[in-house]
Amino acid sequence: MTVEVQAKSRLPQLSSDKQLTFIKLAVLSMAAILSFATRLFSVLRFESVIHEFDPYFNYRTTRYLTEEGFYNFHNWFDDRAWYPLGRIIGGTIYPGLMVTSATLYNIMQFLNITIDIRNVCVFLAPFFSSLTTIVTYLLTKELKDEGAGLVAACMIAIVPGYISRSVAGSYDNEGIAIFCMLLTYYFWIKAVNTGTILWATMTALAYFYMVSSWGGYVFLINLIPLHVLALMLLGRFSARVYVAYSTLYCVGTILSMQISFVGFQPVQSSEHMLAFGTFGLCQLYAFTQYLRAHLSGANFELLFKALLTTLLATLGTAAVVLTLTGKISPWTGRFYSLLDPSYAKNHIPIIASVSEHQPTSWSSFYFDLQVLVFLFPAGLYFCFSKLTDANIFIILYGVLSIYFAGVMVRLMLVLAPVMCIVSGVAASSLLSLHVKDIEPKVEKHEKKKKHENNLVFRSEVGALFVCVLGCLLMSYVFHCTWVTSEAYSSPSIVLSARAHDGARIIFDDFREAYTWLKMNTPEDSKVMSWWDYGYQITAMANRTVIVDNNTWNNTHISRVGQAMASTEDKAYEIMRELDVDYVLVIFGGLVGYSSDDINKFLWMVRIGGSTERGAHIREADYYTPSGEFRVDSDGSGTLLNCLMYKMSYYKFGLVYTEGGRPPGYDRVRGAEIGNKDFNLDVLEEAYTTEHWLVRIYKVKPLPNRGV
Amino acid sequence: MKISIILGIIASFTLALAEQETLVLVDNLNIRETHSQFFKSLQDRGYSLTFKLADDANLVLSKYGEYLYKNLIVFAPSVLEFGGQIDTEAITKFIDDGGNLLMAGNAAAGDVYREIASECGFEMDEESAAVIDHFNYDASDDGEHTRIVVSPKNLISSPTIVGDQNSQPLLFEGTGLILDKDNSLVLPILTADSTAYSYNPKSQVKEYPHAVGRKTVLIAALQARNNARIVFSGSLFFFSDEAFNSAVAKVHGDKVTSNQSGNKVLSVRLSEWAFGERGRLRVRSVNHHREGEKESSNTYTITDTVVYRIEIEELKNGKWQPFEAKDVQLEFVRIDPFIRTTLQKKPNGVYEAIFKVPDVWGVYQFKVDYDRVGYSRLYHSTQVSVRPLQHTQYERFIPSAYPYYVSAFSMMIGVFLFSFFFLYYKEEPTKTKSE
Repeated sequence: MTVEVQAKSRLPQLSSDKQLTFIKLAVLSMAAILSFATRLFSVLRFESVIHEFDPYFNYRTTRYLTEEGFYNFHNWFDDRAWYPLGRIIGGTIYPGLMVTSATLYNIMQFLNITIDIRNVCVFLAPFFSSLTTIVTYLLTKELKDEGAGLVAACMIAIVPGYISRSVAGSYDNEGIAIFCMLLTYYFWIKAVNTGTILWATMTALAYFYMVSSWGGYVFLINLIPLHVLALMLLGRFSARVYVAYSTLYCVGTILSMQISFVGFQPVQSSEHMLAFGTFGLCQLYAFTQYLRAHLSGANFELLFKALLTTLLATLGTAAVVLTLTGKISPWTGRFYSLLDPSYAKNHIPIIASVSEHQPTSWSSFYFDLQVLVFLFPAGLYFCFSKLTDANIFIILYGVLSIYFAGVMVRLMLVLAPVMCIVSGVAASSLLSLHVKDIEPKVEKHEKKKKHENNLVFRSEVGALFVCVLGCLLMSYVFHCTWVTSEAYSSPSIVLSARAHDGARIIFDDFREAYTWLKMNTPEDSKVMSWWDYGYQITAMANRTVIVDNNTWNNTHISRVGQAMASTEDKAYEIMRELDVDYVLVIFGGLVGYSSDDINKFLWMVRIGGSTERGAHIREADYYTPSGEFRVDSDGSGTLLNCLMYKMSYYKFGLVYTEGGRPPGYDRVRGAEIGNKDFNLDVLEEAYTTEHWLVRIYKVKPLPNRGV
Repeated sequence: MKISIILGIIASFTLALAEQETLVLVDNLNIRETHSQFFKSLQDRGYSLTFKLADDANLVLSKYGEYLYKNLIVFAPSVLEFGGQIDTEAITKFIDDGGNLLMAGNAAAGDVYREIASECGFEMDEESAAVIDHFNYDASDDGEHTRIVVSPKNLISSPTIVGDQNSQPLLFEGTGLILDKDNSLVLPILTADSTAYSYNPKSQVKEYPHAVGRKTVLIAALQARNNARIVFSGSLFFFSDEAFNSAVAKVHGDKVTSNQSGNKVLSVRLSEWAFGERGRLRVRSVNHHREGEKESSNTYTITDTVVYRIEIEELKNGKWQPFEAKDVQLEFVRIDPFIRTTLQKKPNGVYEAIFKVPDVWGVYQFKVDYDRVGYSRLYHSTQVSVRPLQHTQYERFIPSAYPYYVSAFSMMIGVFLFSFFFLYYKEEPTKTKSE
């Protein structure tokens, strides 16, 4: 009782200013906690493990970093991957994620909090999304006001587009990169607004962190120069922008070149040329302004024209020469695919085969952003209506990221924060506009009588509007929670399905298979599989793989694709060439798991046929004459006799999968398989998991007696 | 310590004994008498022979997963089916598990022979077909010209298998063999002359014979990939006392005559090779390290100089002795061999190569693959990683970059001086104008 009374009596004692701060703090910390909590579905439902395919590599490298120290990590040559080429891990990754986890781990060990490195990795992404929430608040506050900041913070805490890449257990670069990106933007806005070297240097440091953690930094280093250019064109270029950008570019570029994976790219590759050009332009612009101040009009005009022509001519020649000599790296495929969505599909199968690199469908915009899609234009309107340097930045960011998100599903991640920020601005502006009307104050009424009388039912309309917006925001919360729970929290490493009676069935075949490999095969055996499973096999089974998710060598992947797409004899030659001991395939036909190797098979054919040595593999051979991809008896003979088909369906013709269907009925393709009765000559079945999801074959040695 | 030595001695002793265990399958025990010289030569060399009838119902090769015999001799051409647990499958499994096989048939040999032969990469001619040579038959021939005289020149030129004392003509009577062209492991030990062919001597030649001329192989051998050895002779007579002792007199041609046939010498040599007394190599030890270091390493850096040593031994007169050869090669392989070099011979069977690791990183294998006719296959591979330079191993200062160093440092000094003057230089107020 007394406590309650005390609390009650104490509250009014706080000044309204303090109350406001208290509420803000409460809202912000609640948003931060919420953003952490909502990402825990997968951990609560399953286990505290890494759930996705790719992050297993990050996890493995982080473990290596904590165990061996930074310099060993930096110089790490991994002979377990890409056999027999090997991979220089230290020089081919963005180490930010691993260093962050290792640092957190070491700090906690120092504080005697004994936490496993695995748990640090699992909870890193949720933790960083809490930080993102706070940064979003700061950034939006800088753009508009604290109210908008709070709304934006709440929105980004639960926006599905961001959650999709940052749930607990998805230990990926993007998890921390979004935080770094927003932090850089925040510092950049600060630097532009204040024009101090301090903030500009902070921007450069944040940029360095971003570069160290994600390849998407290229977006950032193009967006900021674009902002500067826009400011120049709009005549808003000032000494503040000059100081901010020049400092950022110099310090940021030098810092980014310290990441060995980035190396000399910032001064060589075309993706960084915009930043470089803008830097030069800034100097010229400042210089001309200096000259203009010291010269007469006519003299200046003459000098300006002469200088401009010589400069453009030199720059043009230099650019052409450098591109021709290969000093400026030619336009890379990933970059083309950003501009022309069909480029990659037509030219580089390895890029097109990744589902993340597919163009986004319209429905997924709504799915990932819901109400933000409608609030965004309104927010843009508010930004335009009060144009500031910062607003121009956010408008540019919004428009560009919408374009890129439309090109690649994966870049939805970049769009989500700006959607939240702009929508936050919109929601906050609209609310503050109408909440004022609900309770018309007496003094106000007297003061602005004329204006008030223009509209009838002003307070009612205001109330109605607030209600509608409230409902929309509520539905946003429900939608986000539902999407997070249903779509983004189901791990790939463990599958679950519902039985007829509603009970949950868990398919833990992947880990079963990897454990089998780990326990039953020689330490140095080489496992061939399609590249999707490479990281998992090295991390969980600790065996050497031929190719993995780091798709750096197209020919090597193509070789594996050729093996999978060839007949047994041809494949045997390739497997002997690569010293393969075991082959692993994912097969979903028994339980109806649709992302299995047969469904990915056409990519193997395309990638296999894309190099010179695989020229004999033609995609058309794997289709029926009418152009269909079928595994039943109408399917093409080439398909029914290739290694992948045989490994997937070996002995499958004896199994009844569904009532009322013949044996060998594939539940994914919905067809009875066409080639049931065959034996394997060069392989023998080594292990098949409980639900046949993973099948492992051993490569037989050469026949002892020669034939 | 002592116990372990004793155990080791006992183990090696039993192992040596097991090496000599030989099962002989015969048509009838009479063969023991008709081929006594051959068997005696085996017994003299320490083999313990167990004679069994080929259709004995109690035949076993292995008990409780352990083989009772190391070698198997089948001198039973008339057998239709083996007794007990022995059949074609059991025999091929015996070979795949490392057992040696010496097999001899004749024109009457049955289907079991054909099956085993085809499992080993030969093909026996049809039943009752025999090798006929109207130009090179022996004086003791009974008119069908099937007891032929074969010159020792037709032997495979591999002293390891057939020895180097084969000067006497050989007597052969039996069926011909054809080698499987796709099988790279089979060896024609003895081929017939160009005038020979294989056909049923009792019938007229209506079809083209399966084996004609030099393609008619009389004795063939196969060394399996696990170094099990198989010698398959088309003639049981070849190993008989009669063939050993009889004088040779060729009827036609250059009138080759000899007081004694070369069968005995060759048979003994063949059995020595088949049962692994000769032509066996093994790797005793392998080590590799950076030049100048002693510790062996699994990781090398590109352009390291590596020393690779392999010690190879050969079984001679029952003892492992240093192997002498000039053509042992080493390959340093990453999919393709990056380096292939002949190993230098050092004393005591040690072979050595010193080479520079290529400037390409990856996972490599040291491979010694010494595969010579007559010798068991010597294959040894060691996997090592070749890593790129560490960040501390690069050159700190590159001469060509000195202009840049100079410019960087001069810039730093310049900025420092400039800011120093900018901050602390005070311009004297010029009074000329005001004056």
